[in-house]
Amino acid sequence: MSTTLRDGLRKRVERLRTLPSSPAVLKPLLELLRLPSDRIDLKRVVELVSYDKTIAAQCLRIANSALYSRAQETESVRAAIVSLGIQRVEDILLTCCLQKFSSGSKWAGDPGVFWRHSLGCAAVAQELAERIGYENPDKAYLAGLLHDLGILVNSLAYPDEYGGVLATASEKGVPLQEQEQQDLGFTHCESGHILAGLWKLPPAVNQVIEMHHNPAKMSEQSPLVTLVHLADILCRLRGLGHGYDEWRSVDLAADPAWGRLAATCPRLEKMDLARFTMDLDAFVPRVQALVESVFSPKVEHSEVALNH
Amino acid sequence: MPVDEARTSSLDAKAAAKDDSQDPVYLKIRDFVYQACGIYHSEEKMYLLVSACRRRMEMLGPSVSTGRDYFQSLSTPAKKDQETRELLNEITIGETCLFRSQPQLNALHNVILPELVTERGKISLKKLRVWSAGCSTGEEPYTLAMFLMEEKEKLLKDWVFEVQATDLNDRSVEIARAGVYGDYALRNTPDLYKRKYFTPVDGGRLKVRDEVKARITFSRLNLNDDTRMLFMKGMDLIFCCNVLIYFDVTSKKRVVQHFYANLLPNGCFFLGQAESLFQVNDQFRLVHLPGTTVYRKSAPNAAAGAEGKP
Repeated sequence: MSTTLRDGLRKRVERLRTLPSSPAVLKPLLELLRLPSDRIDLKRVVELVSYDKTIAAQCLRIANSALYSRAQETESVRAAIVSLGIQRVEDILLTCCLQKFSSGSKWAGDPGVFWRHSLGCAAVAQELAERIGYENPDKAYLAGLLHDLGILVNSLAYPDEYGGVLATASEKGVPLQEQEQQDLGFTHCESGHILAGLWKLPPAVNQVIEMHHNPAKMSEQSPLVTLVHLADILCRLRGLGHGYDEWRSVDLAADPAWGRLAATCPRLEKMDLARFTMDLDAFVPRVQALVESVFSPKVEHSEVALNH
Repeated sequence: MPVDEARTSSLDAKAAAKDDSQDPVYLKIRDFVYQACGIYHSEEKMYLLVSACRRRMEMLGPSVSTGRDYFQSLSTPAKKDQETRELLNEITIGETCLFRSQPQLNALHNVILPELVTERGKISLKKLRVWSAGCSTGEEPYTLAMFLMEEKEKLLKDWVFEVQATDLNDRSVEIARAGVYGDYALRNTPDLYKRKYFTPVDGGRLKVRDEVKARITFSRLNLNDDTRMLFMKGMDLIFCCNVLIYFDVTSKKRVVQHFYANLLPNGCFFLGQAESLFQVNDQFRLVHLPGTTVYRKSAPNAAAGAEGKP
């Protein structure tokens, strides 16, 4: 990418940054959640979450969605937080923040498709992490959720051009990043990397955002990047992609990322990939239902009973 | 079973089976079936397994009334083999129809055939050989022949192709040769194909046209017959859907080894959508395509590279 192009992109991303107002409770909540887990005051978390009705509603919806289905319907915010776990609450907060960021703005493409892929990749990355014994499946979820932040950036910062990029990629059935490179001169990896820097996201997550299409180009190995790279490909070939089919064949086990990840997580080599792939089909309707319930345009605030 | 009856009963069964699919004993049965036969029921497909079990339980009578009882029958050494076979029949019943797996055809149309055309263009060998192994009553080979005839109008323009269709069962092969199908077998067939490649016969059924039949060689073949298997060389694509599930692990490994040997480099092996070669063969590469997977034989240079390692 040329210097002029980089400066232009940076300016557009910076302009974007001033657009959204994040929920008022987000900052204190995130600070609270960053504490070591034994020092987190659950009562305080419940208070803060309940304070923002949108966030409270989404916690309940997500706790009750099939993706995290529990035997019993959760009605109180407290029960939702307990059943989801603190880490998941943090993910939901970020999701809410992103959603606020994108709602009301002009989008190129379909925001629902973006959310389906992001939440799908999060769930698949976590599932893969669990199966192969990766040390921190929750981190995999978060990285999967945010890996395509740059698509959101491109959709909002380049609303006119980006619609054309999406349409051409879909028509040709080629990976999105290839079409971005050709039409814009940069990919969502670069634009996402810039926003992640401005937002001061954790460095490991920012690395996933920047490198998930090129794990082989990293000087130092990162199992998290390779894991999200593989989960992303699986999603795109199994109905949770960017809203179209990419017409190519992928030999995952021959991908250099596969070997790198297997060096850290040896269980990967013995994993039944065919069975794992079939299991992923169950994620499609669950993620779809979650997207529909959480991100449907009419979030009725009054529907939440705040009986914590 | 008449079509309407099949539809209503399948709707009822689906609802009832969905309730039961959480029962851990059915997960045990699922894992047993996958271990023994290589056919896997993901969460979305569990209701199919549960309703197959329920139909078997009904046939076995009141002594087998719960999922647990039925798992017993599947585990008792004396009944095991017979009951597994009966269950597999129930699992695959009514599955056969023309154009059963659209994702496989899409993958062929959009990726596999274009790749093959590019690769073969270099050596100007424009011949495609396809084998439908375990073709049953002919739905699969006819689908492939019609699909390839369509491709011949564009991508495969000056190509020749042939479809070998084999099955162990003489009666199935006879029905396949006749090529007459009713609504149920044709439920996935696009209208374009119905108009172009079929003629109506009495009883509202459709008969495959002769020019399609001319593309297919039907014959009886036992996949366990090592000598016959050696003569099926030079294949580009082999389809073997819901057949290997009936084989024990040893013969399954041998048969798949034959398929591998009979494929040309880069050739593709297609299984049923719920089947896997896990722990059966590790020479084939599992390749992902949109909505489907294919087992692929490595190209010679890639294979040499892999073998060349110390």
